[in-house]
Amino acid sequence: MSKYFHDLWSAIFSSMVGMGITLKHMFLIRKGNVTLQYPEEKWPRPERKIGYDLKDYNVIRSRLHHNIDDCTGCNKCARACPVGCIKVETMKVPKGTDLGTTSNDTIKRLLVTRFDIDMTECMYCNLCTYPCPEECIFMTGGPNSSKHPLDYEYSEYDRRNLVFNFAKVTQEEIDKYTIPPPEEQQKDEVESS
Amino acid sequence: MTVDVLIDWLANLVDFPELAFILAVLICAIPAFLFIAVYALVAIYGELKISSFMQDKVGPMGQGPGLHAGKWGLLQPVADALKLLLKEDIIPASADTKLFILAPFIVFIGAFISFAALPFNQNLIIADMNIGVFYILAVSSLGVIGLIVAGWSSNNKWSLYGAMRSSAQIVSYEIPAALSIVVVIMLTGTLSMQGIIQHQDGLVWGILPNWIIFQNPFTFLAFFVFFISGVSECNRTPFDIPEAESELVAGTFTEYSGMRYAFFFLSEYANMFIVSGVAAVGFLGGWHSPIPGFLEAPGWGLFWFLFKVGMLIFVMMWFRWTFPRLRVDQLMNICWKVLLPMALLNIFGVGIWTVLAGR
Amino acid sequence: MGIVHGDEMVLNIGPQHPSTHGVLRLVVKTDGEIVSQIRPVIGYLHRCFEKHCENVSYDQVIPYTDRCDYIASMNNNFGFVIAVEEMMEITVPEKVEYIRVIMAELNRIASHLLALGAFGLDVGAFTPFLYMFRDRERILDLFEMTCGARLLYNYMWVGGLSHDLPVGFLEKAHEFLDYFEPKIKEYNDLLMYNKIFIERTSDVGVLPTDVAVNYGVTGPNLRGSGTKWDLRKNEPYSIYDRFNFEVPVGKGQMGTIGDCWDRYWVRTEEMKESVGIVRQALNELPVEGDVHEALPKKIRPPKGSIYKRTESPRGDLGFYIISDGSPSPSRVKLRSPAFTALSALSVIAEGWMMSDVIAILGSLDIVLGEIDR
Repeated sequence: MSKYFHDLWSAIFSSMVGMGITLKHMFLIRKGNVTLQYPEEKWPRPERKIGYDLKDYNVIRSRLHHNIDDCTGCNKCARACPVGCIKVETMKVPKGTDLGTTSNDTIKRLLVTRFDIDMTECMYCNLCTYPCPEECIFMTGGPNSSKHPLDYEYSEYDRRNLVFNFAKVTQEEIDKYTIPPPEEQQKDEVESS
Repeated sequence: MTVDVLIDWLANLVDFPELAFILAVLICAIPAFLFIAVYALVAIYGELKISSFMQDKVGPMGQGPGLHAGKWGLLQPVADALKLLLKEDIIPASADTKLFILAPFIVFIGAFISFAALPFNQNLIIADMNIGVFYILAVSSLGVIGLIVAGWSSNNKWSLYGAMRSSAQIVSYEIPAALSIVVVIMLTGTLSMQGIIQHQDGLVWGILPNWIIFQNPFTFLAFFVFFISGVSECNRTPFDIPEAESELVAGTFTEYSGMRYAFFFLSEYANMFIVSGVAAVGFLGGWHSPIPGFLEAPGWGLFWFLFKVGMLIFVMMWFRWTFPRLRVDQLMNICWKVLLPMALLNIFGVGIWTVLAGR
Repeated sequence: MGIVHGDEMVLNIGPQHPSTHGVLRLVVKTDGEIVSQIRPVIGYLHRCFEKHCENVSYDQVIPYTDRCDYIASMNNNFGFVIAVEEMMEITVPEKVEYIRVIMAELNRIASHLLALGAFGLDVGAFTPFLYMFRDRERILDLFEMTCGARLLYNYMWVGGLSHDLPVGFLEKAHEFLDYFEPKIKEYNDLLMYNKIFIERTSDVGVLPTDVAVNYGVTGPNLRGSGTKWDLRKNEPYSIYDRFNFEVPVGKGQMGTIGDCWDRYWVRTEEMKESVGIVRQALNELPVEGDVHEALPKKIRPPKGSIYKRTESPRGDLGFYIISDGSPSPSRVKLRSPAFTALSALSVIAEGWMMSDVIAILGSLDIVLGEIDR
């Protein structure tokens, strides 16, 4: 019998405690609110500074971005990718052709004819960004708008729009740099992949 | 009262008394239906906002009409209602089609006709019957038939579970609810809703309004017994086992969609209003103002009634967003081992009190 | 009169059901509300993790381990990398060890928050679930500022970490811990000590120690049954021997030892202990050091095999790796703690009611990503 009344009392008491907590939250909603009205307000993105040495580094993984101007076509990123969502095709150019240099002053030796990143396949593991010698492939999404005008909402209506073609090479360039058929130079072939 | 007046008035205009009767009923029923619809929109909005605030979020919000749900999300319930109206009405191939179609209306009718006896203020009542309380208790339990029909005709195991649970629950909880109302009837000596309210005029204990809840400790207890039973009859958390979404998917309503589902939804909210309304009438003085003699005009009477009902509905929502759900057997335990003895004790106590205190 | 036995009904709970924690299917035989037989059917989330590992290199396995127990990815990374490190005999710098412990413990808190919140949701309490998710978000914010991802981190590498801690991490982590510790009490008041919750969970789904051990149940579920078994204490890996923490075991405060309530209680206590561990680690964290220092040029473990187990939020997470000396593992086997917990479900939940089965399932805290792999 005493257990009956004890149970009854504890039920009432614990219910009152719980209701007090929810009521407190209801009245302190202005202080406790965590909702962000998404299109108007945006999630505060973390600082991009990483490490104790204040070295700028972008960590937010929202989309892979590639800076084709710095790319040497070394294919390291494609090899690092666990799912194979990066497709790189390069082409050898005749000796003495000046393709320019990257921002790290590395001389470009290959013409990148295709650099596709299929974001529908990407698993956002970030593994492709580390081997890159020129640091030209990176994840974007952080407050990086000074570097490129991209934001972190990469939704598309059509999934084909999520395949990004970064190679800027034109057909004229390909024709211009195509090494003549291998009658004279047997060793150099048009290389693909 | 209103219906009788209308019938008399219309009988003078038209020759057929049957036609006068039908016209009078329609004239009363259509505003009642509109009231339920509007009230349901308000209640849905209130529930969205209350639940959100209790959970540290803001609920539906918007900057203006258009894609957003209006200022402060005010258009959200309208959008919800429109969505339900426009949704495809699916009847499962294996369902018992006739019963499946019929069920939401049975549930809704049970809730809807109870409104006939609810006094909104001194004059605003569709029918002030001399058996008002009895009538409400009787017709509001019609809904359970609809729930069983819905559960059975859906031909779905979850629905059947929900129907079995809800019928057991509602039938059981009718008893403590009715026994608590008996306390009110004992004190007032009438079954008429207006009569009960008129009995609660004046002061008690010197300062408190002469509401039945304040008249003695047993009536105080009886109010809570009635209210908890009422929450259970509405299938609200912590007694929402018939549609326990984490156990039974959606219980009785699993196979329902679109407008048919909306009718269940509407009747759930209408039931909340009726339970709160009966509690307000029976225990909280109905349309009486909390300060006797202050703001007692019919207009204010409407306000006080809706205010009391609104507060009780808020408490129901508050329950819902605080408590976990009970298990079936525990639900029955609470009914038969806690609420029923308490209700009987209340009747006994009120009887003794009335004899001793002579009130 | 006795108990009336009706016909039994076979009921499919899932794979599309609100409380199966993923895509689990339970084939349940019921007699009315009483459940007489439960048969879990798994495999709806099978992604060939183990076969996949044989085709990618070791560093490429790590993102896949994220996706096993996606609630506690850091702990999965941790388990895999220390197994490979032990094979390759790499010693990682102090700082890396500390950061790993911080991350693993923060992720343990996040995982337990989800487990407790989802358990509350299973017994019908909606609000604690959202409170707990709100706090989990704050932990995910810490992870996001560290490694850029909120759920699937790929943060721990063989021999190091992908990123050093960001500037301001220590302050934010301390801020979170100070914020979070009082919140645990609030959640307990709101849910754990609520009488309805106690009624729903105490004495329900009792998992006796011998059954737990026979079925290989580990982690909070085993500790809820009163067995003091925590790999962080019993087989300290990494630097767990440096920290002071208690291993909470179920005491049966509200009923029998090993009931659902005890499992809930053990998780809340573990969150408190994890807060303590993170505090200690944050205070002792060496400032100097490079997290990339010990990264091997090529990850090619010598021929041989290793079985290394760590304490993930769900229990003993074991990685059995066979290496043939090539850059990709010859065979990887993941010993899933959630799988063993699920296997014990049919033993402890048979004979209970439908609602209890859902509650017991919630209390076991399974993650289908890890069970199906």
